[in-house]
Amino acid sequence: MRIEGCEDAGGAVPLAQQDEWKDVTPLPQDDGENPICPIAYTDEYREAMDYLRAVMAQGEVSQRALALTTRVIETNPGHYTAWAYRKRLVEELAVDIGDELAWVSRISEMYPKNYQLWHHRESLVVRLLAPAEALRLTEDQRVAHPTIRRELQFLASAIDEESKNFHAWSYRQWLVAKYGLWAQEQAFVETMINQDVRNNSAWNQRYFVVVRGQDPSTVALDGALVQHEIAYAVENIKFAPNNESPWSYIIGLLLRHAPPALSAELLPRIAALAADDDYRLAMTTTPFYWSALVDIYEQQANAHPDRRAELLGQARAACDSLAAEHDLIRGNYWNYRKTTLI
Amino acid sequence: MPPVFSFHLRYDDNTHETATSQRQGEVEDTIGRIYQRFVEPGSMAHGGTIDDSRYRLLRAKHEQFVRDALHGLSSGFVVLDASQPWLAFWTLNSLSILGSEISAALRRRALDTVRRFQVAGGGFAGGDRQLPHLAGSFAAVMALVLIGGRDAYAAIDRMAMHRWLMTMKRPDGSFEMHAGGEVDVRGIYCALVVASLLNIMTPELVAGSAEFIARCQTCEGGIGPFPGVEAHGGYTVCGLAALEILGRSDALDLGRLARWLSARQLAFEGGFNGRTNKLVDGCYAYWVGGAFTLLQRALRQSQHDGYLYDRTALQRYVLACCQDVRLGGLRDKPGKSPDMYHTMYCLLGLALSQHYTGVEPEEAIADTTAIYSVPARMMQWGPLPASMDVVGAQSNAVTPVHPVYSVPLVPLAKCVQYFYSLPPLAASLAQN
Repeated sequence: MRIEGCEDAGGAVPLAQQDEWKDVTPLPQDDGENPICPIAYTDEYREAMDYLRAVMAQGEVSQRALALTTRVIETNPGHYTAWAYRKRLVEELAVDIGDELAWVSRISEMYPKNYQLWHHRESLVVRLLAPAEALRLTEDQRVAHPTIRRELQFLASAIDEESKNFHAWSYRQWLVAKYGLWAQEQAFVETMINQDVRNNSAWNQRYFVVVRGQDPSTVALDGALVQHEIAYAVENIKFAPNNESPWSYIIGLLLRHAPPALSAELLPRIAALAADDDYRLAMTTTPFYWSALVDIYEQQANAHPDRRAELLGQARAACDSLAAEHDLIRGNYWNYRKTTLI
Repeated sequence: MPPVFSFHLRYDDNTHETATSQRQGEVEDTIGRIYQRFVEPGSMAHGGTIDDSRYRLLRAKHEQFVRDALHGLSSGFVVLDASQPWLAFWTLNSLSILGSEISAALRRRALDTVRRFQVAGGGFAGGDRQLPHLAGSFAAVMALVLIGGRDAYAAIDRMAMHRWLMTMKRPDGSFEMHAGGEVDVRGIYCALVVASLLNIMTPELVAGSAEFIARCQTCEGGIGPFPGVEAHGGYTVCGLAALEILGRSDALDLGRLARWLSARQLAFEGGFNGRTNKLVDGCYAYWVGGAFTLLQRALRQSQHDGYLYDRTALQRYVLACCQDVRLGGLRDKPGKSPDMYHTMYCLLGLALSQHYTGVEPEEAIADTTAIYSVPARMMQWGPLPASMDVVGAQSNAVTPVHPVYSVPLVPLAKCVQYFYSLPPLAASLAQN
C-alpha cells in the first residue's frame, strides 16, 4: 500500500460559490457520529465528493459531472465508483476517445499501480477499433494502425518506467490476444529479455506468445518449437546460470508440453555446460541447476520403467545435495521432494 | 546447529549485472547491515552465528500505531477513500492478532462504521454511496467477524448478498469485482469467503470456479490473477484458499506449485518475494506463508512433517527487518514506511509461522466437495501446540489465525456457529 502524494486538481473557487453549481444541493458523506479511521479530507476533495454524490444520485449526464470525476480521480484514482460513472459519461456525452486515452495515460504515470485505469482503457480501445474489423487486416497493418500503435507506445513507456509492472503486462496480454499481435509481441519480449535476462514478466510473456494465449492443457505444441525454446533458454542460462527465470521457463515448458524424448535431449546439454570449464563453477553452485536435474531425472524415470530405480536414485541424490549444500534455506522442501521420488 | 549468517548467501549475479540484480544487491546491503547487529561478535569476518534470541515484537508500539489510525488518518489517505472497509479490517485484525483488547466502545463505533457500507441491493461498498465491491464486501464481512456478536452478524443481509454475488458471477466461473469492473482470482476468493461464512454457498454460486482457478496456474507453478498472467503470491493464496473452501485443491498441479512456492523464500533475507526475481516484501509473509500452510494440507502433510519453508528465517525477517522501531507498525522492507496493510499481513505471516496450523490427515473429512461439509472442514483447522516455534522472546507469540480466512480462530468459530444455525439458503428462499 503506497500513499501517493495528494495533489488536488480543484480550482481556487469553491463549487458552492460558482453559478454553474447553484442548482445542485451537495450530498455530504454520512459516516455516522464517531466513525473509526476517518480520513481528514482536504476541503477541495470533500466538496468535489459532495457534489459528485449529488449528481450521481440524479444520474446526471453532463460536462460538469465529467469534470467532477476528473477532479476526484486525479486525487484518488482508486475511486472505482467515480470511474464507473465516468465510463457512462464518456459514452453518453460522446467524449473524444483520443482525449480520454491521453488523460488516462497521465493518470497512469502518476499512479502506475492502479487497477481501474487499465480496465477503463480497454473499454476505450475497443470502441476506437473493433477487434473483428481489425482482424481482417494483416498483423503488420494492425501494428501500424494508429490505435494499436498508440497502445503499444504507451505500454512500452510504462514498462520502460517499471519493467515488471504487473498491470501493464496483463494489459499487453489483453491487447495482443484481442488484436492478434503475436509476431510483434515475440520481438518485444526478446528485446525485454535482452535488456534484463532476469525480468520474469518478460519470460512469462514469452510463454504466453508460445501458446498463443490458449489454455495450455488443450494446446499441442510443435516439437520443433519446443526445441527452439529450449535452445533459447539454455543460451540465456549461459549468461548467468543463477537466474531462476529461464530455468523455471524451460522446466515448465518441458513438463507441460514436451515428450520425454525432448527432456532426454536437455540433459546432455546442461550436463555439457556443467562440464565446460567456462561454466562449471557457476552451473554447479546454482540451486536451479540441481533442481532441474531433479525434475528431468524424474520425468525420465517415468518414461523408462527399465531404468526407473536408477534414475529416481539420481533425482534423490540431487535433492540431497540441494538440502545439504546448495540450497540450505529450502532444506525442508528438498527433504520433502525426496519423499515424492519413489 | 546454530543459525549462520553469511555473506556467501547473497544473490550471485555471476558478474552479469542487470537492473534486477542491482536492486537485489541494494536491498541485501541494507538487510545485511541489520543482521550483522545480531551476529555474535567476532565469530567471523563474512558472517557468523546469529543470535535469534534478541528479537522482540514491539507490541505496545504496534498497538499504538493501529490505535492512532482508528482515531483518524491524514489527508494523504484519501487514496483509500474507496477502501474504507479495508481500514476497518486491517486495524481490527491487527489488534486481534496482537491480542489487544477491543473495548465495548470501540466495538460499537466499529460496528456503526462498517454496517453503513452495506448497500440496499446487497454487498458492501468502499464508502458511503459507492458501488458494492467484492473486495470491500470481503473486508467488511471480516471486520464484522472481528467485531463479533449477534448484532454484528445480523447486520449482514445474507439473502441480498447472495443475490448480488450472483450478479457478479460470470459463465466461466470467475467474478467481476464490481458491476462492469475487472475480473481476477481475487473475486472468486472474496466471494467464496463471504458465501462460506454466511452459509449461502449454493451450487450455482460455485459452479466453474475451481476450473477457472486451475487455468490461472502458470507453467512456473504459481497462480496468476487471470489465465496467462504471471504467477504472484497474492493471487496464489487467494486461489488456493478458494480451492480449499471448495475441497478442490486437487485441481492444481501441486508438485509444481510446491516448487514455485519454495522458490519464493530468499536465502539471504529470509523473507519471501511475491514473484520470480522480485524483491523481498514483508506482506508475503502471509500471501506466500499462508499458501504454504494451505499447500501442506493439500499434500496431506502432518505436523510431524514440519514446515515446507524455513520458519525461523521468515520470523527473523519479520522481526528484525519489518518492524519500525521508531514509529511502530510493520513495513515492506527496511527503508520503507510502515502502514496498516503491511502491519496486518506481517502479523498474519508471523502467526502462521509460529503456530503450526493444520488438519491432521487422519481427521480429514472424506467428502470434501459436498457443500454441507464446508463449516466442518473449515473449522477443523487448528493450531497444534506441540509444533509451536516462536523465534526470539517467548512473549513474541501472537494469536493463531485461520489460513483461509486470515483472522483469529475464536471469533471465526463464533461467526460460523451463528450462520450455520440459520436455515440454509434454499429453505430461506422458499419461505420468502
